[in-house]
Amino acid sequence: MKLSARIAAPAAALVLAGLTATACAPQTSDTSSEGDKKTGTLRVWLFQEVGNKPKQKVVDAAVAAFEKSHEGAEVEVEYIPVDTRAQRIKAAFNDPKSAPDLIEYGNTDTAGYVKDGGLADISKEFAAWDEAKDTDPTAKQSVTVDGSVYGAPLFVGVRALYYRTDVLDELGIEPPKSQAELISTAKKIHKEKPDLYGLAVGGAYTYGAMPFIWAQGGELAEETGVTYRSAINSAKARKGIEAYTSLFGDDNCPAAKCAAMGGNATVTAFASGKAAMAIGGDFSHAAVEAGAVKGKYAVVPLPGVKEGSIAPAFAGGNNIGVLKSSSHRTLAVDLMKSLTGKKTQAEMFDAMGFLPTYTDVLESAAEKEPFVGPFVNTLGAGAKFVPASPAWGQIDASLVLPTMFQEIVSGRKDVAAASDDAAKKMDTAFAEAG
Amino acid sequence: MTADTTTPRKTPVGPGAGGVTARPPRRRPASPARRSGWTPWLYLLPALVLLGGLLVYPIYQLGLISFLEYTQAQVSGGEPTTFQGFGNYATLFGDSQFWQVLLATVVFAAACVVATLVTGCALAVLLTRIRAVPRLALMLAALGAWATPAITGSTVWVFLFDPDFGPVNKVLGLGDFSWTYGRWSAFALVLLEVLWCSFPFVMVTVYAGIRAIPTEVLEAASLDGASQWRIWRSVMAPMLRPILIVVTIQSVIWDFKVFTQIYVMTNGGGIAGQNLVLNVYAYQKAFASSQYSLGSAIGVVMLVILLAVTLVYLRLVRRQGEEL
Amino acid sequence: MSARTLLRVRRPGRLAAEAAALVIAAAVAFPLYWMVLSAFKPAGEIQSTEARPWTLAPSLDSFRRVFEQQEFGRYFLNSLVVAGTVVIASALIAFLAATAVTRFRFRFRTTLLIMFLVAQMVPVEALTIPLFFLMRDFGQLNTLGSLILPHLAFSLPFAIWMLRGFVKAVPEALEEAAYIDGASRTRFLWQILFPLVFPGLVATSVFSFISTWNDFLFAKSFIISDTSQSTLPMALLVFFKPDENDWGGIMAASTVMTVPVLVFFVLVQRRLVSGLGGAVKD
Repeated sequence: MKLSARIAAPAAALVLAGLTATACAPQTSDTSSEGDKKTGTLRVWLFQEVGNKPKQKVVDAAVAAFEKSHEGAEVEVEYIPVDTRAQRIKAAFNDPKSAPDLIEYGNTDTAGYVKDGGLADISKEFAAWDEAKDTDPTAKQSVTVDGSVYGAPLFVGVRALYYRTDVLDELGIEPPKSQAELISTAKKIHKEKPDLYGLAVGGAYTYGAMPFIWAQGGELAEETGVTYRSAINSAKARKGIEAYTSLFGDDNCPAAKCAAMGGNATVTAFASGKAAMAIGGDFSHAAVEAGAVKGKYAVVPLPGVKEGSIAPAFAGGNNIGVLKSSSHRTLAVDLMKSLTGKKTQAEMFDAMGFLPTYTDVLESAAEKEPFVGPFVNTLGAGAKFVPASPAWGQIDASLVLPTMFQEIVSGRKDVAAASDDAAKKMDTAFAEAG
Repeated sequence: MTADTTTPRKTPVGPGAGGVTARPPRRRPASPARRSGWTPWLYLLPALVLLGGLLVYPIYQLGLISFLEYTQAQVSGGEPTTFQGFGNYATLFGDSQFWQVLLATVVFAAACVVATLVTGCALAVLLTRIRAVPRLALMLAALGAWATPAITGSTVWVFLFDPDFGPVNKVLGLGDFSWTYGRWSAFALVLLEVLWCSFPFVMVTVYAGIRAIPTEVLEAASLDGASQWRIWRSVMAPMLRPILIVVTIQSVIWDFKVFTQIYVMTNGGGIAGQNLVLNVYAYQKAFASSQYSLGSAIGVVMLVILLAVTLVYLRLVRRQGEEL
Repeated sequence: MSARTLLRVRRPGRLAAEAAALVIAAAVAFPLYWMVLSAFKPAGEIQSTEARPWTLAPSLDSFRRVFEQQEFGRYFLNSLVVAGTVVIASALIAFLAATAVTRFRFRFRTTLLIMFLVAQMVPVEALTIPLFFLMRDFGQLNTLGSLILPHLAFSLPFAIWMLRGFVKAVPEALEEAAYIDGASRTRFLWQILFPLVFPGLVATSVFSFISTWNDFLFAKSFIISDTSQSTLPMALLVFFKPDENDWGGIMAASTVMTVPVLVFFVLVQRRLVSGLGGAVKD
């Protein structure tokens, strides 16, 4: 046909050109920095928390002190939403010209960001920093990849069980001491008070779900030599998944509402009085205090399988890192020290309840504020981490685990099938990362 | 969209129908002032430069990236790219989610197209039966729907169907049924929004086409006692064929490419990605999971499918003798 | 056609049809009405569980929230600049190109036409990835140029195809006469052809305006760190969090974003219908 003939020739030419021109692929971003200016404007991206104002105040103070002691340097801080942080930060890596100088990032992203060529190696400066000597070893590990340091820890975060003292008193229930009791208590509360969720759970709340899996002895992945192999579909892990997903339903937290919720949403539900219990972090303290349930709640560690045990919590935390592409490296490192120094961390704790990453500061914080107790206990009982593979960032960003939970909760797949699929996806990611 | 009709088909056609083709004067020699030379190319230059740089080159890059291994590590981490051949496509076609999404896209687009065409044509006929004031009211309402940006239309419709605060659930007595939770109800919700903002195009275009039909023909048919449906089927539709083809193909292409509505209304693809369509799937693969090469491969697949649709359209148009 | 209908219809049938048309018009307009209504409702009424289709206490609170959010006025201006530039530039460029492929005969003419047709069905969202790298290499990231250029390019194929009919409809005889009168090609182009094709340009400019005004994907992808260059849809998305939606704010922002388009539409409504009819005819 004449028509296709007219298209065929140019099309063929295109294809041929394409196949022979691998060298014409988009260049890799040049993330190396262009100099180390000692004056100018530093740009910082920090996470926006639920109830962000107190954090802003502390940051503003640290920034003011920094600007005063560094002539000619100005700081611009921007607060970015947490759930779209991955795209924004990746975009910054893609275009170094538009990237900030400092970013706040979750400690699960460290390995991935290093592999993506985004973070600067600050091992030297970190070693020379006297405050850094008191850094808690787990926190230090969260900024270390292959022996080099790529940031400074900002805070440690663990989660525990927030519960409504008034509701439990009214129904004459004790705070749950085992995983099974937690589930039955939640369902009981919802039965007695149908307009309250027993325990607010979220289908997209990965870090709230993990303790259920870990408590049963399951693991996310096992290290096999150089790489990892997913263990999310092992028998023990499946038991944990079943326990968690049993909390979704009309007997506790209706799937229609709760399948899409993430961590922030469950905390907000608790703070606004819509849930009797929630799994929240020490960092949620300020938000809950500012909510409708002030004075009517308490915190205990999330119970494990055995009565009286504590479920292993996820050792979360955020760090502040200098971008490799920053053109103000020395200044940026100084600002980083100012933002993550002992003084600022103590203030952050007072304002937001973020647990400091220095052993001495953490101790004095625990003495000052009793609410820290359950969290410190949880930390002490043994907190776990995600596989320290650069693939984890991608697994998190492609929502492998939330998809798994949502498939089970919505009835599309059973626990076995969903966990098998999730394991396959994780293994593919691990294999690609190498 | 132009639609030339040179020869009449079954129904007798007056000189006004369809318009007059401008046949180029074959035998008259061009006067010196009109020799083409470089002029058309000069006029075409800005368009060609823009399209070449911003459409053709990126398409080529898209294809290229789909043949390479391209993740964030390659993009900013300095890792070298490797030629994968059809490796990415093999991964893609081996993933059952891809086939699910493809099927969902095809079915969803088909449903949208059918709904839009039926509604648009029915309302176009309705417009012909009423006087100026109601006609203006319907036109204005339709244009309002058409003008609404996809993103604001999406947010408004999600609000309308909100389980807690939306009026629809109240009026229908559905309590707090969440439309966005179930797979089919979420697709239905998006379909309604797409229908709402797409039917005006069909309605206005078909109406304009009907107005071009000589009134004598239509009056003759209605005087003969034919029902409205009969008139449509035997008189209007055949004469409107070129317009209907244009409108159908255009709708197919647009509805296959739907992105904003799905992304905003189902929060990026729905629970466990159950409401993904190809365009959103490609975006998530590339920008959320940083698998740029897989995202590009999906883009190429979409391109090929839509190319096939366009070829069908060209064939249909050719068969009518349309002169390009 | 004003007092009559197109077809001679019996009275009760016509009344029923008119009633149906009015009901349908109301249903179609309802979402927009609801949007504007909710923008003016006070926060308490929006979040209440009884959704009333009216409000007795309209308030500007939501609008205040929307504008107080940093740089909302700036976003509006950015959207306007981008859309306006695209409309004007694409009208001119498409006009030239449509004239070239319709009124001249030259080799590859048909190929070009087919290419323009094929170009329309490209899923432009898929091109975000390569376009991002292109913009980066030309230093256009975080500028309005990175939004103007792609939208300009993507609006051309459709505009060219739509304008073909209009350009073709201008009879050759007119052109002959103009040349005989001594007009140069350029004069014919701008002083005779352009005004005659103007209704078609208006019709196509509506499409380019809408698609550019609507866009949020490119703004989200190309403008990362300099948010002062962002456009309206980004401002809207700030309020749109899955769990704690500020519906009042969303509706107010949506209203602000939709009103200019509606106004534009109403202004060109007549031209639009005749324009489309013209494009469809020949």
